[in-house]
Amino acid sequence: MNLCLKTISALAVALVLICPVKSQALKFHSDMNSIKIEAQPGQVVTRAYHLTLDKGEKKTQFKAHLEDWWRSEDGKQSFYRPAGSIKHSCASWITLNPAEAAIGPGETLTVRISTVVPADIKSGGYWCALTVDEVADPLKTAPQGVGVVFTASVSVGIFISITPVDRNAKILQLSGNGTDTELKVVNEGNCPLGIEGRIEFYAPSDTTKPIATVKLARTTVLPEPINTIIITAPLPETAQLPNGKYLVRAVLDIGLTHYIGAQKTMDIVHGTSGIQPEAGKGR
Amino acid sequence: MKLTRIATCLAAIGLFVATSSVVFAQTDITGHANELTGTTLTANVYEQCDITVPTGITFNVGDISDPTIASNASVSVNNIVLATATKQLKISIQASAASFTPSVVGAATWSAGDVSWDNGTSWTSATGAAGTLSSSAYNAVATGAADTASFSTTTLKFTLAANTTVKRSGNHTLAMVWKVESIGS
Repeated sequence: MNLCLKTISALAVALVLICPVKSQALKFHSDMNSIKIEAQPGQVVTRAYHLTLDKGEKKTQFKAHLEDWWRSEDGKQSFYRPAGSIKHSCASWITLNPAEAAIGPGETLTVRISTVVPADIKSGGYWCALTVDEVADPLKTAPQGVGVVFTASVSVGIFISITPVDRNAKILQLSGNGTDTELKVVNEGNCPLGIEGRIEFYAPSDTTKPIATVKLARTTVLPEPINTIIITAPLPETAQLPNGKYLVRAVLDIGLTHYIGAQKTMDIVHGTSGIQPEAGKGR
Repeated sequence: MKLTRIATCLAAIGLFVATSSVVFAQTDITGHANELTGTTLTANVYEQCDITVPTGITFNVGDISDPTIASNASVSVNNIVLATATKQLKISIQASAASFTPSVVGAATWSAGDVSWDNGTSWTSATGAAGTLSSSAYNAVATGAADTASFSTTTLKFTLAANTTVKRSGNHTLAMVWKVESIGS
């Protein structure tokens, strides 16, 4: 009996070893650098992108291409469209090599990104996205029944600045509710702007030292086709910022030699829609 | 609105932090200053991450008049290296077609917008977002927390809406793309 069980166990182990179950996932390592180039008209610049397939994966085909890219105002949606869809697209200046390749387990795909800046281009910021898509394996069996087949895709930005660029932004609105503060920013320049910053809360009686500060996640506001962005940051906890009246100040770094900001007095009531500007003050 | 202009030097510090992505490895050497012939070792660390996404999900539709929830899906992003502590990675999804491909050509089936995911999903080191699948835009599923080294979930739930117009059994299939983005200037 014992011998029988041992034999069955050994056979089961052997079967697992011979026919490993493919984990239902694709795993790979990718560069996530945005490619930032400061160039002059006529200049030639080369960069590279790398993607490495996990050692446990099967040979997989990847396709690299250039797209135009932008985000919705709230940042929750990303739009990828054919190159040339926007005026500030630099996709037509760039060639990729290789555009498509298969890599095996543990192997690295290196895509060479060659940029030739047109000689007659105007100064300003230009951008596109380098997208590397997993190509669906035509031999892979579709799920039985009703199912969704996934493929993976990575996009990194390519930003080319033709100097001098006009960096210019304005805070249109500083507002909030009982859980978040919101900033609406418009890009009034001619290049994408990386935005970092913070929101500071001051007691009205002492505006020299903030009671609480919230750091803002880095984001980007483009000059087109959507040139505004809403930046949301959670209110500090009640213990740190009790309900009450505060001077709320937003300070943004948009890559200039000075920060831009806006402030106004608000009544903050946590957990409600009760963050209100004080009548007659602020924006 | 009152514009605040803050010291130029502070802005310069901010910019330095924002753009620095190079790590310098340094070895201390003892000796007279005029004897030193030091070598600077520079490690250029790229922004990077490891990505694991599922290859598919199945909806076991037992009753077309009820929504069907697929088994939990797992997604993870590990070993995240980014240029600044405030930069974040985002995972989004988009359908490759406006509707499923039905088992019989021309038969009624589900549209991409019938697939949704909930924000009740428990994410580690990320903020999840509920959404509905679209074939024209990538909708956010999760954004990694600032300065996190990894984020993941093992409980991402996709739901297929009820659709009583479906009359053919068999395979109804839709292709969908997971997008990992780090696009920012």
